[in-house]
Amino acid sequence: MKAKTGRLKLTNLTKEFGNGSDRVIAVNNLNLTIEPGEFVTLLGPSGCGKTTALRMVAGFENPTKGSVQLDGVDLGSLSPDKRPMGMVFQSYALFPHMSVYENISYGLKVQKMSKTKIREAVGELLDSMSLEHLANRAPNQISGGQQQRVALARAMVVRPKVLLFDEPLSNLDAKLRAQMRIEIRSIQRKMGITSIFVTHDQDEAMSLSDRIVVMRNAVVEQVGTPDEIYRKPNSVFVADFIGRSNFIKVESVKAGKVGTAKIVVVGKELEVAAHEKAIASSEPVLLLRPESVQVYAAKKASSTGVGQGKVKNVIFYGPHVEYTLTTNQGEITAVVSDPTFEEIVHIGEMAEFTFSPERAWLLPSDAEHNQEIH
Amino acid sequence: MASNRKNAKFDIFTKIALIFVIAIIILLVLLPLANIFKFAMDPGGRVIFTDLPKSLVDQEIVKNTLKLGLTVGTLGTLLGFFLAYTQTRIEFKGKRILHVINLIPIISPPFALATAVIVLFGRSGLITRDLLGLRPTLYGYPGLVIVLTLSFFPVAYMNLLGMMKSLDPALDEAGSILGANRWKIFKSITVPLLIPGIAGSFLLLFIESIADLANPLIIGGGYTVLASRAYISINGDYNIPGAAGYSLLLLIPALLVFLIQRFWSQRNSVISVTGKPTGRINPIKSGPIKYLLLTITWFVSILIAVVYLTVIMGSFASIIGVNNALTLEHFRYVLSGFGGDSVKTTVILALIATPIAGMVGMLIAWLVIRRVKQGSQILDFLGMLGIAVPGTVIGIGYAITYNDAVRIAGYTIIPQLSGGGAILGGAIVIVMVYVIRSSPAGQRSGIASLQQIDPSIDEASASLGASGFRTFRLVTLPLIRGAFLTGLMYAFAHAMTTLSPIIFLVTADTPIMTQKILAEADQGRYGNSFAFCVILIVIVLTVMGLINLAVRGRKTTSYKPLAMVQ
Ligand SMILES: Nc1ncnc2c1ncn2[C@@H]1O[C@H](COP(=O)(O)OP(=O)(O)OP(=O)(O)O)[C@@H](O)[C@H]1O
Ligand SMILES: [Mg+2]
Repeated sequence: MKAKTGRLKLTNLTKEFGNGSDRVIAVNNLNLTIEPGEFVTLLGPSGCGKTTALRMVAGFENPTKGSVQLDGVDLGSLSPDKRPMGMVFQSYALFPHMSVYENISYGLKVQKMSKTKIREAVGELLDSMSLEHLANRAPNQISGGQQQRVALARAMVVRPKVLLFDEPLSNLDAKLRAQMRIEIRSIQRKMGITSIFVTHDQDEAMSLSDRIVVMRNAVVEQVGTPDEIYRKPNSVFVADFIGRSNFIKVESVKAGKVGTAKIVVVGKELEVAAHEKAIASSEPVLLLRPESVQVYAAKKASSTGVGQGKVKNVIFYGPHVEYTLTTNQGEITAVVSDPTFEEIVHIGEMAEFTFSPERAWLLPSDAEHNQEIH
Repeated sequence: MASNRKNAKFDIFTKIALIFVIAIIILLVLLPLANIFKFAMDPGGRVIFTDLPKSLVDQEIVKNTLKLGLTVGTLGTLLGFFLAYTQTRIEFKGKRILHVINLIPIISPPFALATAVIVLFGRSGLITRDLLGLRPTLYGYPGLVIVLTLSFFPVAYMNLLGMMKSLDPALDEAGSILGANRWKIFKSITVPLLIPGIAGSFLLLFIESIADLANPLIIGGGYTVLASRAYISINGDYNIPGAAGYSLLLLIPALLVFLIQRFWSQRNSVISVTGKPTGRINPIKSGPIKYLLLTITWFVSILIAVVYLTVIMGSFASIIGVNNALTLEHFRYVLSGFGGDSVKTTVILALIATPIAGMVGMLIAWLVIRRVKQGSQILDFLGMLGIAVPGTVIGIGYAITYNDAVRIAGYTIIPQLSGGGAILGGAIVIVMVYVIRSSPAGQRSGIASLQQIDPSIDEASASLGASGFRTFRLVTLPLIRGAFLTGLMYAFAHAMTTLSPIIFLVTADTPIMTQKILAEADQGRYGNSFAFCVILIVIVLTVMGLINLAVRGRKTTSYKPLAMVQ
């Protein structure tokens, strides 16, 4: 077996648009190394520069500064047709005047592959993606999900070293989207193609990625595996953007064992996992995911919980119940799994909440974090 | 749910609108065409068809007509394609100005170009003789090709420009990332996607150039085409059946090509964009192709600019090229007496016809897209006849039909509308021509914009209890107002510059500018004819500007909370 190829290295990648007063920095000093076969998503709110970053990798935009290297070779200003990459577009960009078969074979035809070989390669792919019965249809005669699959097949048939996706699933309905996610991931794994996937849908990012790059205002906020991003976010922004969060004010902080801090919240002393910059931060906050919070009726004379609150709202979903509590620490959301009928607390009643310290995460305040980046 | 192939029961407004539109089409197109047909079947008309296999002269005329159509269709489409491609794919200074220059021929009377080209490039041309020492013969095929190509290429240009702009740039990018270079993308993606536009433009230019009468009269020389032959039958031979025969001969290829064009554009409207278009066009930055395209573009635009500058200068010069002394004599002549009357009459009649044409066009569009299911294709086709039928044929048809009262079973249904002694001096028939020649532009833009609007908006209005008329007035019309006003602009420009049907219908009481321009040019008084052209272009531009202001002036009424109103 040959050595795996497709290591992508982005160094100080920067793009500015316009000049003078309408100068926009779309991407600012992006540094990222993607290993061969790795699946990385760029995630962030609208306008944060995801598409621009992707288009620089593809060669559609020339970087203002910085470089894109593939397997140690600088791609420089190589035009897109000379880069061994494939792309799946948000609008699919299927050629409307060509059949499904012609669309998929286009890249091979451009490479001047022989007709029989093209037939073989395309046939195989059509088969594995269960598209063969659509081969002779025009793109506007197939459904959105099928168009999506054709676009994927077209990008993949040329065996690119890197696959680029710009929100390819955003035009599909929720069910199809979930199904396509699985399909994309399994094909990508099988072929071992390095992939960059742009999205602003966190579920998509969480379920697809080896690593997630969270961007905000042209800058990378955090790079990490989905569990790192979820459990150990770098900043309030990342915690807030990914999943749902309760932020609780901390009354005092002291260093604890390595990677932890001794804090006081709601008058109680706890030892929790902490971000390395949290201890020095002037106003650290405690992140509690709703599913880490337990809620029960405040009946017992001796309180065992961390704090108390009044139930403002209860939504019963079946497998779990979602509470909104009004507490001295502000509103707290809690998702409690599998409660018995008797355990459910009702609107207007007093409740106690609690959490286990190992499920909490201490964060530096966002203002300080941002200052360090700029 | 009702099957959508069958026509649902029409409400009263739809019924009235349908009857109104059909009556208009019958009176303004079908009846004159029927009369052409009737006269062409007279012995004097029939002989043209029966003798065609023997008559070398007539064969020559038919050949001339088709040859002209094919050449102008090809050259005009190519030119339009190159200029549109340059506009969309190259960044260069002066882009906007060149775009505007390319559109001038659309709003100018056709023979402005012909006359100026003679003055510049003819035997005694300012450029050919005085500058280059050449004495070419422009009259005939070469002159016609140059003038008609310059006159009609803007149609192809606009058509293709619109299509090129609507192509999703991501298609280019998809080709590019799959390894195709620029040339390959051009060959395998851009051109194939534009084929419907290219074919459509070619066929439109073919129709326009075989139908044209003004230019063959001015610059055709001995090169006779069917339109000019039909004209000679009326004005030289006084042979009405003969004129009807030649008209029918011209009508056949024109309608045939029109039908092909419709078939084409319907079958090939595959450019469906799924999702939101992404990416952007990557302009051509260097290389010989860029400079070749820029050269063609600048050459054509400079040529057009020079031609129209000649028109303007010629209107102020005593005799341009011979005696260049500045004078206002031409304008004095043109604005006083008969000339002045013609300006006034033309503007008034065009202003009357324009809103009618706009309404008729919009009504047909609305009926075709929203109301009539069965037979909507036929209604659409009938509505377009006014432009599909060559102007010469319309003019001759009107002259035959309305020179006398229209009677059914001895009762006068319509009094005499055209010729000497007609009511209102024949003005009505001219308005009718303007309406039927101009409404197709409104119909097309109306259809295009209605297709963009979700039909459920109409249905929402109906479900809230609005009648068909209220829905049309309060919902549909405001939504397609932009298209309506664009339609009006074209309608007015078209009315002001049309000649071929008018020439058969003017009377001493209703002098029309385009006919005066032709008469002056015919007499060799180019200065007067240029002055007329300048005035005509200024009027058209002014009215278009006013309509434009109206479009921009009124936005949607904004909602103000009560507190703010006080
Ligand atoms: N061609 C351009 N000219 C000027 N500014 C641009 C251009 N393309 C993008 N921008 C700007 O750069 C910034 C980043 O845009 P980009 O398209 O990369 O965002 P995005 O993260 O992909 O957003 P979305 O999720 O909405 O697609 C935005 O502020 C945008 O307005
Ligand atoms: Mg984007």
